Amino acid sequence: MDSQSTDQNADLMLDGNAVAGLLQEIFATEVTIAPVQCASCGQEGEVGTLLAFTQGPGVVLRCPACERIILRVVQTPQHIYLDARGAAFLCIPKPQ
Amino acid sequence: MKSVLEWQIATVQAICQETHRVKTFTLALPDWSPHRAGQHYDIRLTAPDGYQAQRSYSIASEPERRGELDLTVERIENGEVSTYLHDVLIPGDQIEVRGPIGGYFVWEASMAGPLLLVAGGSGIVPLMVMIRHRRAARSTVPTRLLYSSRTAEDIIYAEEMDQLVATQPGLGIYHTLTRAQPHGWTGYARRIDVDMLREVATPLGSALRSYVCGPTSLVESVADQLTALGLPADRIRTERFGPTGGTL
Repeated sequence: MDSQSTDQNADLMLDGNAVAGLLQEIFATEVTIAPVQCASCGQEGEVGTLLAFTQGPGVVLRCPACERIILRVVQTPQHIYLDARGAAFLCIPKPQ
Repeated sequence: MKSVLEWQIATVQAICQETHRVKTFTLALPDWSPHRAGQHYDIRLTAPDGYQAQRSYSIASEPERRGELDLTVERIENGEVSTYLHDVLIPGDQIEVRGPIGGYFVWEASMAGPLLLVAGGSGIVPLMVMIRHRRAARSTVPTRLLYSSRTAEDIIYAEEMDQLVATQPGLGIYHTLTRAQPHGWTGYARRIDVDMLREVATPLGSALRSYVCGPTSLVESVADQLTALGLPADRIRTERFGPTGGTL
């Protein structure tokens, strides 16, 4: 079970739009309009609507409906770690 | 064309004090690409020891203004990036930027409307660029902005708003001042509530698009109230401005 308290501070909460640049680095395309489904509650919405917590060492994106974690991103000098186990799917547009 | 994710060195051309806590920075870009109203640029600062801090700021200038862009930034006490921009940066300085970024919170004149824009504090920036774009594109889409500020002195772009209302057909701007009101104030004087939203939104009809930007508390309550007024969720676009002025 994810901790619901350690990284959650509503005053510092942003949304998926605020991490659009980081997500575009990972997916090589604009994904804030990409549909994503929460693996916990089944809510489907666009990545831009996810709740973003960016004050920690990484970025945590949570479901706006159930507040469970959908995506985690951590950057090291050489790599980007993406933990997407909270997403049932993320639908990314193919490059045209 | 350069990727929007490649960092480039922008030169500060001008700095305009908008309110006591808000400045607009005009940046000249070596590789300017067209943006959409509501998109962001990332700014990255690097300390001598290699430590980097990065923030995302809404573009304030309309896409029709080519080659340069405005970023309007609120000074956040203890903010890593906004204090540097406000206290240190002078015209001629250079900073690292990348963009334009984002596709969720955008409006283009071709998307039509009617438009209901709801802003709190510096959340006005991406909504103002939509209004500037509307003017530049000669759009007459019925548009109403409801803008919540603490005091009259905190209203960003106040003079330009008055001019726009006087010259742009179909545009209405409604202010609410939550903390203090000047003598003779005729606008709203409370936090945005469902009655206020109904009064502002009703003349636009039910098929409107809404964009809400501001602090999380305002965004959440306004989104809930718009839902209560019967607006479908896919017609409510929100963007939260954290106290850090937008992180990452």
